[in-house]
Amino acid sequence: MRSETLPAQAGARATRGHASWHALLPFAVLLILSLLLPLTGNDYWALIATRAAIYWILVAGLNLIVGYAGQLAIGYVALLTLGAYTTAVLTGGKLMAPMPVWGALAAAGAVGALFGVIVGLPALRLRTFYFAMTTLGFATIVTQIALAWQSVTGGGVGLPGPDMPAPFNSAWGFYYLCLGFAVFCTLITANVARSRYGRALIALRDAEVAAEAVGISKPGLLVKVFMLAGTLAAIAGGLFASLQTYITPDAFTFDLSLLFFISILIGGRGSILGPLLGTILLTILPEIAAPLAAWATFLYAVLLLAIVLLMPGGIAALLDWRNRKPLESGRAITPRPAALAELYGQTLQARALKVQGAALAFGGLRALDGVDLEVAPGQVHGLIGPNGSGKTTMLNVISGYYQPQAGGVLLGDSPLPGNAPTKRALHGIARTFQTPRLVGEASVLQNVMMGGTVAGRASFIEAMFCLPRQLRDEREMAQRARVALRVVGLEELADVRADRLQHSELRFMEIARALMLKPCLLLLDEPAAGLSTEEILRLGALIKAVSAQGTGVLLVEHHADLIFDICDHVTVLNLGRVLAHGTPAEIRVHQEVVSAYLGA
Amino acid sequence: MFASILASGLAVGAVYALIGITYNTMFATSRVMSFTAGQLGMLGGVFGSLFMLRWGMPLIVALPLVLIACAAVGVVTEFVAVRPVLKSLDQHLYVLSTLALALMIQQVAAIKWSTEPQPFPRLFGLGSGAFDEKFWLPVLALAVTVGGLEYLYRKTLVGHAFLAVAEDNFAARALGLPERGLRVASYALAGAIGGLAGFSGGELLLAFFANGALLNFYGFVPIALGGLGNNRGALIGGLALGLFQQAANFIVGGIFSSVAVFALFIIVLLAAPQGLFGHAGARRV
Amino acid sequence: MPTSVPEALLELRGIASGYGKIAVLHGVDLHIAAGEVVTLLGPNGAGKSTLLRAISGLLPLSAGTVRFNGRDLTGASPRQAVQAGLVHVIEGHRVFTQMSVEDNLQLAGYGLPRHERAQRIEEALTYFPEIAAKRHDRGGSLSGGQQQMLVVAQGLVQRPRLLMLDEPSAGLSPVLVDRVLGVVAKLKANGTAVLLVEQLIEKALAAADRVYALAQGRVVLEAQTSEANLPRRLEEAYFGHGAASALHA
Repeated sequence: MRSETLPAQAGARATRGHASWHALLPFAVLLILSLLLPLTGNDYWALIATRAAIYWILVAGLNLIVGYAGQLAIGYVALLTLGAYTTAVLTGGKLMAPMPVWGALAAAGAVGALFGVIVGLPALRLRTFYFAMTTLGFATIVTQIALAWQSVTGGGVGLPGPDMPAPFNSAWGFYYLCLGFAVFCTLITANVARSRYGRALIALRDAEVAAEAVGISKPGLLVKVFMLAGTLAAIAGGLFASLQTYITPDAFTFDLSLLFFISILIGGRGSILGPLLGTILLTILPEIAAPLAAWATFLYAVLLLAIVLLMPGGIAALLDWRNRKPLESGRAITPRPAALAELYGQTLQARALKVQGAALAFGGLRALDGVDLEVAPGQVHGLIGPNGSGKTTMLNVISGYYQPQAGGVLLGDSPLPGNAPTKRALHGIARTFQTPRLVGEASVLQNVMMGGTVAGRASFIEAMFCLPRQLRDEREMAQRARVALRVVGLEELADVRADRLQHSELRFMEIARALMLKPCLLLLDEPAAGLSTEEILRLGALIKAVSAQGTGVLLVEHHADLIFDICDHVTVLNLGRVLAHGTPAEIRVHQEVVSAYLGA
Repeated sequence: MFASILASGLAVGAVYALIGITYNTMFATSRVMSFTAGQLGMLGGVFGSLFMLRWGMPLIVALPLVLIACAAVGVVTEFVAVRPVLKSLDQHLYVLSTLALALMIQQVAAIKWSTEPQPFPRLFGLGSGAFDEKFWLPVLALAVTVGGLEYLYRKTLVGHAFLAVAEDNFAARALGLPERGLRVASYALAGAIGGLAGFSGGELLLAFFANGALLNFYGFVPIALGGLGNNRGALIGGLALGLFQQAANFIVGGIFSSVAVFALFIIVLLAAPQGLFGHAGARRV
Repeated sequence: MPTSVPEALLELRGIASGYGKIAVLHGVDLHIAAGEVVTLLGPNGAGKSTLLRAISGLLPLSAGTVRFNGRDLTGASPRQAVQAGLVHVIEGHRVFTQMSVEDNLQLAGYGLPRHERAQRIEEALTYFPEIAAKRHDRGGSLSGGQQQMLVVAQGLVQRPRLLMLDEPSAGLSPVLVDRVLGVVAKLKANGTAVLLVEQLIEKALAAADRVYALAQGRVVLEAQTSEANLPRRLEEAYFGHGAASALHA
């Protein structure tokens, strides 16, 4: 399918088409099967299938939260309940004049969006278990309110669900309505998942620090996703109320929450197809094994435990045969710095980084004690020093994790504020990490595309509906990512899951991700660690080539030979102060440095 | 009325605090928050009722048996849901594995025991009104537990070893402490504490399978209030929660009191994610 | 210098280890004789601490064997290593801050009978009178230097045959460094072997009989500390002339 002689763009399109055909086939089969289901003429199957479709409407949205963003929202039955009661109350006419069912569903969606955000907000501050607990607590509260607020909800007696207008008032008519909506949900969530927003979600899940460095802001993104998931869940609730014909708080047991949640985990995180199959499976399972119905929860729990312990990838990993093909062993990374020109396009607007008198103390420890540092455009600047000399703190100040207590950081003439790591990418500052930070389950290409996040123009809504601007974004980003991969010499591995790469390949992949930004400043945090001598030579040549494009490179490294060979300028830190700075030749013979570097 | 709010508030508060301490005890040696904490409380009540009412055992036999049985469940938690996921880099796996185990315990209790609340025996038949044993037994159990833990942690070598593993697992291992054994022991201890919570509060909460989920949440609130791993915080947080909940019960009615508790919980969590007595988190970069 | 000595106390062959995918050590051979003081040098990131962790079982080995005192300790847990007399004092004076000095030492003797434990604690404290005076103070209230003495004392409670010290001088004033390294000489006099990882090269060399230098996870130099042109050889090993000239080629 792919060959080196093809121009990158054609190659990209070919691979993409290949991949999407594979990916779409199961969905098409499922759709055809579900369209043909009425041929059975069995109303019981209509009920089960409608239920599965409704559950999927909820799970599709929840999947973005649990499967993509990795937030353990366990109590999502609360939003189903909320949607069901909102729809039933509004169409029932108890509170005000009865509303048409479509209006009521829309209102339920709006309520769901609101509460989706309210339930989700704690995720922005809390750790996993705490967030799981708050969603569980919310689920309990909603049920209790439904019980207590008798004047509106009918308490334990319940409420009639909304009646559907023709042609949706028959079993199969309603089925087609729910199916249609389920297909719609599949499409929009899949669109989100494949867009930069979806990549950002899994980046926040698996590599939050790297996500911040490429400019992904967690709150903004999560709020959008919580709104979408809340809306879908509440609409599913409205349809569920109609399916039930009569709703009581008993209908919304915790078992349902569990079903939604486990469907996603069985399906596999970061997949649309897996959770879809999981939902269908878990909806049907208690039906075909009637004696097991009482033990359904137990069964779900066993499944959950089995997945966690034995098959963390879920169904999606089982179906992912393309990534089980063994990779060629003894692969060599051969960067092609010549392709940099293509990646950078017209010349870079060069700006120098100036750190002036940066000081930062943690408690009594002076991590930085008035450090000056200047990285000129087009230069490789080495930053060395013994452990605890302040190199990492320096990098963290430049990348915006800390605000220096004195002094400041300037890029060109504009000061860079502290405590704003997600803003650095906008200034053209890219970085790699001491330990590669990546999304293991995503392909190498996807990982690299993440680096271009801030270049994306399409809004979340455009991404949801795959509008032209979104398509253009994706095409350009994928193409640039392939060029970046060619630059670092990994284009052959573009479609491989990133966690299958060797350590040294991951280091080069991180550089490709950073290059997506066309950075005016590139921070490399020990890029040579764990590389072979041969690879270090290639890395050195690559770094030189990057700086030749006008990018200033700040290189923190222990490999003295690499530092002395490629740096234009070297700063030596010791105990939070600049011990020496100068050309490698000067540093090389600087007696204090030699003894400090050897440890003094 | 004031006396009964106080009595019932302190009583349920003591049960919540004990569950909170159960969470803490497991967390200390493993950095894992286990959903089985509340289920252990539920089992304390169910086992108590089973051993004493159904099987007719005297208290002196039943109590140790309940504690042993719950300690065994604690050990099973460690083996099944904690040990296999500790090595994983994926930090949230324990949330899922312990949730799965907790649900299994709850479902077995529902099916094999009963889905209805079952009576719990009167243990001593002491006191009446606000001084009924059902109110002061949990408080007594809490006092004994906290006192016992203080003794363990301050005076004994094993207790110090627990603290060492909790404070710096790596240093403790380097020192040659049997970290795995200590972890299993702490889960057994946590199991016994959770069982004691359910047993001492049995007359109040009855032997009911759904208590597990309830205690999971209400036992977690003191942790959120008091800070993870802080037993004194859990003690104060638990009692405060109990009083708050019972007061709200009398003032705004049963169901909206849980809304009040939930609102309080969320507000505290968002305002002070480390708890009111906790420490700030570690650096990420 | 023969690469392996029959009576070696510790003998490593082809040790490879690392963190997850990141291989740090690539086949390290090293040996230490009973009662010998050996210094392990190397630039940051060379794998010194990793090697110590691999030896004591804090990190799993991906290849290689560890023999200690005639026994195979490959894949042993830190506890088994300690019981065999191989004690690792990790870097960063990580005492248990909430416990008293004495309780910290008690923990180091976990598993020993009470009476013997008390005796050994007193013995360990004789090396460090300054912390013996603070035995009831909390570990967290000690100064950095005192904490370093405490962790070394913790290591001594087990009466090790081999004590591995990871950067005992880090963050200490020169006086305290001499104080801590002075203990090494006393230990040697008592027949305890020491493997010392140090940043202070001159002081480390003064304390040691023999030196290994590690770079990029490999032993690049092994020498007697008495060797004449050792500083020059070390500098070469660190700054890697060979690699640098290859880069220019």
